[in-house]
Amino acid sequence: MKKEKLSIDDISLKDERFRISYYFPLDELILSIKKIGLINPPLVAFRDKHIILVSGWKRVLACTELAITHLPVFVVEEEDELEIFIKAFYENLATREFSLLEKAEILNRLIRFGEDEQNIVRHYMPLLNIPRTLPYLDSLMAISRLEPEAKRFIQENSMPFLPASLLAEFNPEERRLLFPLLSPLGQNKKKEILENLQDISRRIGTPAEKILSVQEILKIQSSEKLSSLQKAEKVCLLLKRKRYPAFSSWEESFESLLKKMRWPKEITIRPTPYFEDEEFSVTFTFENKEKFSANLLKLQELASREEFSKIFSLDYSFK
Amino acid sequence: MIESQYLPQKVYVEKQSFDFPLTKRILENLSQIPIEAIENPRDLIENIRISRNIREKGKTYLLLTRQKGEFVKPCPCTPYYIGCNYFIINLDLNCPLDCTYCILQHYLSNPLITVHVNLDDLWRQLDVFLRRNRAGILRIGTGELGDSLALDHLTENSKGLISYFREKRNVILELKTKTVNIKNILKIEPAQNTVIAWSLNSRRIAREEEAGAPLVEERIDAARRVAEKGFRVGFHFDPIIRYPGWEEEYGEVIKRLFNAVDPGQMVWISLGSLRFPPSLKTIIKERFPSTKIIFDELIKGKDGKLRYFKPLRLELYKKIIDLIKNWGGEKIPLYFCMESKEIWRRALGWVPKGQESLQAYLSSPFGPLKK
Ligand code: SF4
Repeated sequence: MKKEKLSIDDISLKDERFRISYYFPLDELILSIKKIGLINPPLVAFRDKHIILVSGWKRVLACTELAITHLPVFVVEEEDELEIFIKAFYENLATREFSLLEKAEILNRLIRFGEDEQNIVRHYMPLLNIPRTLPYLDSLMAISRLEPEAKRFIQENSMPFLPASLLAEFNPEERRLLFPLLSPLGQNKKKEILENLQDISRRIGTPAEKILSVQEILKIQSSEKLSSLQKAEKVCLLLKRKRYPAFSSWEESFESLLKKMRWPKEITIRPTPYFEDEEFSVTFTFENKEKFSANLLKLQELASREEFSKIFSLDYSFK
Repeated sequence: MIESQYLPQKVYVEKQSFDFPLTKRILENLSQIPIEAIENPRDLIENIRISRNIREKGKTYLLLTRQKGEFVKPCPCTPYYIGCNYFIINLDLNCPLDCTYCILQHYLSNPLITVHVNLDDLWRQLDVFLRRNRAGILRIGTGELGDSLALDHLTENSKGLISYFREKRNVILELKTKTVNIKNILKIEPAQNTVIAWSLNSRRIAREEEAGAPLVEERIDAARRVAEKGFRVGFHFDPIIRYPGWEEEYGEVIKRLFNAVDPGQMVWISLGSLRFPPSLKTIIKERFPSTKIIFDELIKGKDGKLRYFKPLRLELYKKIIDLIKNWGGEKIPLYFCMESKEIWRRALGWVPKGQESLQAYLSSPFGPLKK
């Protein structure tokens, strides 16, 4: 590998065959280059009379932003593209963590450059902290083949493997409908929406696109009163009700009973998860004896009401 | 009765396993099948594990190797639910049938159909195990990590197991199957403490979710023949699966069962509803894209496994128990596999006080076991 100094304009950024990083923020890198310069030269290779970038997209783009005209590079002399890519891969592996999207792109390039599938599973996936199985490889390949909008969404939302691979199982039109719903939500809720939507769709044999286009959901989404987070949460709840109708009706019955009883906010009563056990738990906080006794009295009063026994009846037919 | 018996495409034999009588017997029964001697099964397993269609491929190969650890283990059951104090013999691993819901897809990292051939070690370990567990009646079976009879035409292990346990006073041996591979069983003198048990399901579930398994009618017919021969028989409605029309279709199977098999020969019927660890859902989704059973109202139970929401389970159990009782099973011990106390109480009207009480209940049809 030769070290050279090149004009940044001589590097063709159109050729993305070795590129694995997209949709990244440059601010920190720009700051670092401003302060201490470019420490780690990018790797380039000559192809069809052009100089193409092998690794260092972030660095080169940061230098462009800083209007740096010349930069040091290492020129890779190998002809074999797989060899070159592997070199770039190890160069990166030693210095930084890869995002999920980058991992997907790495696997995609390895396949594209002719690396054997089994070899990828055996050697590269553990290096990327991915379980050594073909289904994982397939899911990541599906992510790497997504349309740019979806890739950007995954990268910018730092989506972990599970929700990202679920997202990849929908079609582009469905994904387009999903982005505004998913973006205000945390990772767990994102996963919940995707899982519920897919499960409902498979159970009733209706495309997700159709499920998302029902009046109820369209009304929520077009509401001007609701924030995007409120809209997303409402749709999430709606899908949960469709996915778990019996459980949701139990939950609602339980809640409505508490409402009917005017259950005090400062005392929480909870069933076990999914009502799987018969027990309930009650919690309250107190800072002195008087508060404690007042809560106990309140509980005693609640327990003496007729409605209270309904909490324990298995058939929540009250509403 | 249609008997479609499993034949592997290839047999792998661990080099140190060639001399065991069981290896010789299996190879004699598979004289037309290519054989390859291997040094270390682990390398073979590893190679198959990272290839495509691991499970499908695994089922086409038979691996003969030695059990290097314990043959006998307590059934892992599941935490937080009532277990039935069952012991398992890890003689065969994996199964040539291919049920969508099969837990082995998730549980076993080795995808090959594997037979442990060092039977001498098994008998030795069993002697020690039984000496240590003299109190009460034990139930022990081979059908947890595979199907007890699916390979019996090759291994003929049913004969050895039944004769070994015939002499033992405080053990009930259960051979649990979905197959009709009963040729060897029909040649053996029935033993008082052996139960041949069938997993049953509705015709639709059997057809759509239990690939490679005989029709339910054929299983019931096999049970009839075995019961008529004088063996005690057991049945497992597990996993019970909900779908539109389930009640009627489970009813048909139960009616057929009681019309065919003498209830006096039935020693137990277990019930269990569909349940599986969440990671199995991903495997099922991928391997069986047309199945819908995993998209029903399954919630996360106390043990982390997905199972039907409690009232739905209760509805399933109550109806099936009624059907069993109505068709002549009122005296047959019924029990649940991996269920909560509440389900026991609400569906069966009692809760076992501990594993001993459950053991006593399940061994009640046997009376005192004699030598
Ligand atoms: S018969 Fe049992 S062991 Fe065999 S595939 Fe079906 S569930 Fe699994």
